[in-house]
Amino acid sequence: MTYDRSHVVLSVRDLSVNYLARRGRVRAVSNVSFDLHAGETLALIGESGCGKSTLNLALIRQLPNTAVTEGAGILYTYRDGRQVDVLKFSDRAMRRFLWSECAMVFQGALNSLNPVLRVSDMVYDTASAHGIGRDEARRRVLKLFEQVRLDAARVFKSYPHELSGGMRQRVLLALSLLLRPQVVIMDEPTTAVDILTQRSILDVLKELRAELNFSVIFISHDLAVAAEIADTVATMYAGEIVEIGPVNDVFYKSRHAYTLSLLNAAPRLSVGREELMSIPGSPPDLIEPPPGCKFHERCAFATDVCRTVPPPLVEYEGGRLAACHETERVLENALETRKAALA
Amino acid sequence: MSAITTQPAQPQPQVDVQTPNVLDFLRRLWRNYYVKVFIQGLITIWAVTTFTFFMIRQMPGSPVEAKIDELMTRQAMTYEEAYRATATLFNFDPDRPLHLQYFDFLSGLVRGDLGDSITKGGVSVTSIILRYLPWTLFCVGMALVISFSLGIVMGLAMGYWRGSWFDNLITTISSIISGIPDYIMALLIILIFGVQLQWFRIGDVRGGVDPNITPGFTFEYIASVFKYALLPMLIYVLSSIGTWTLSMKSSTISTLGEDYITVAKARGLSQRRILTDYVGRNAMLPLVTRLAISVGFVVGGSVIIEEMFQYPGLGRNLYIAISGRDYTTMQGIFLVITAAVVFSNILADLAIGWLDPRVRLGKQEES
Repeated sequence: MTYDRSHVVLSVRDLSVNYLARRGRVRAVSNVSFDLHAGETLALIGESGCGKSTLNLALIRQLPNTAVTEGAGILYTYRDGRQVDVLKFSDRAMRRFLWSECAMVFQGALNSLNPVLRVSDMVYDTASAHGIGRDEARRRVLKLFEQVRLDAARVFKSYPHELSGGMRQRVLLALSLLLRPQVVIMDEPTTAVDILTQRSILDVLKELRAELNFSVIFISHDLAVAAEIADTVATMYAGEIVEIGPVNDVFYKSRHAYTLSLLNAAPRLSVGREELMSIPGSPPDLIEPPPGCKFHERCAFATDVCRTVPPPLVEYEGGRLAACHETERVLENALETRKAALA
Repeated sequence: MSAITTQPAQPQPQVDVQTPNVLDFLRRLWRNYYVKVFIQGLITIWAVTTFTFFMIRQMPGSPVEAKIDELMTRQAMTYEEAYRATATLFNFDPDRPLHLQYFDFLSGLVRGDLGDSITKGGVSVTSIILRYLPWTLFCVGMALVISFSLGIVMGLAMGYWRGSWFDNLITTISSIISGIPDYIMALLIILIFGVQLQWFRIGDVRGGVDPNITPGFTFEYIASVFKYALLPMLIYVLSSIGTWTLSMKSSTISTLGEDYITVAKARGLSQRRILTDYVGRNAMLPLVTRLAISVGFVVGGSVIIEEMFQYPGLGRNLYIAISGRDYTTMQGIFLVITAAVVFSNILADLAIGWLDPRVRLGKQEES
């Protein structure tokens, strides 16, 4: 996929989220920064509990009251070039911003639709909250339903329980595009559906993206899906982005030990003989994170420096960033693995 | 199934078709949800009525003995005098075998005749019910509507703004008042506001309407009806609202955790819309069934409250009937209560289907 590198839609600067728990502050997201360009698809990968979903809910300010969001800014650029900081919106302005500029497709398609309302009511609700008339909303959504390969007229009149999981997921996808947002956040949209439905949703997503040219933040722990759909991949660990870069570079020339471990833990068709290597241990305690690199306790490359000095995020060729002290050894290892896989 | 029967191409002998068609019709009738539920309801009512018929006759004493006791103590009659007076007064033979009494009752019931009151000679049970039921329906029904609606709204607000001062205050009050029985509450209100503060005269709140006003469709009369119903209604509301509020609050809190609420917020819907159609409507569902059960019990009124305020409702009549062992009146009132509970439950099923499309009935019949 190609996208416009010059036009940044969403620029996240130093975003941190803390949950206030009884034991102390849980640093769920710490100092995350990234740029999302027009038409770009950014995949966030990482284990469960690494802060992916929290980060995304923070972007649309839908975190519960126990969470405190701090940061230098979430800068959003409108189509007309105006730039705003999402963190500084009033509640009213935020409500108007949501869905019309930044929509979200949630994880649990089965529970994302109000069981007592028809799909049409939810479409009208969404439209009228943003000042769009019923006829216009209906026209738009029927077209979108067709684009996501649904029986438009029937689905429009249905109640959620009359639709299958895959259909509901596509309804949500269509609904997210109703107001023509520039950014769509997708939180594991294919996790709860079977492999065939997953395939068709991804195909539909790619088609729509090509036609409507929106940017996507795609959360997934399925690396294959991420590799297929993403332009850029960001690896998150313990609330930090530890590596970010173009999808092929990150996957084939990993510069962070955690990215490499994730890749080695994922099954690949081409290397059936190779054993999968799971990552030992579990993600660290986010109330009292380990000193140095947060990954060092589970890292095969860890040295003394890793145990004491937190690695800074360093820029490498091709606009890549990685925060790893042993990046050269990791890269070497990654290249060897790749060579072995190709051989 | 119907495709086969509508095909005219296969001529069948007339005789064979006739009988299965009637059976088929009955079978279909039984398969119809509403018919089925209605018949089940009738069976339930019959079973409960039979049970109460025998149970009330197990109570110590009989109408005759109760009346003799009363006459002996009140009018200082001898036992013989009292017995003779009672025998002429009552149209009831206590020595008639129980099963025959039961069949008399059943055959009357089928014809819609509940018989005459035992203690009030010549007054039919139906007329007693028709005369006193409206008062109870008005008073308790109104109170239920008020208490349910207020409870729903407050519970919704409390759940939505959970932890606010409003929530804490109302939760505390609700917990306290839902723990006080209604008769204690009635006594407290009479003692505090009537006796101590003298906001009203205790004699004035007894009865259903000011006896000096001529009944009619006049403002004066209706105002008086409302005035006399005010205190019993207040007590019903106070004694039931706590439960409604607290259940709605917990239901709201669990609904708020649903994904579709988060999605609705992310879609930028207004708070009002989310509160009503997304949170409120879903949170209300479990309470509708309970409302129906309460509607059923409205009919019985509250026996003790009506007796305390001398309110001319069905509950007070039940109290009088029980004290006088007036079997026929008791049977009649219990029948009305049972029917009300059974049919309001059926109504609740229908209401749930209307509110929640997932359990909408009638879909099964299409397949």
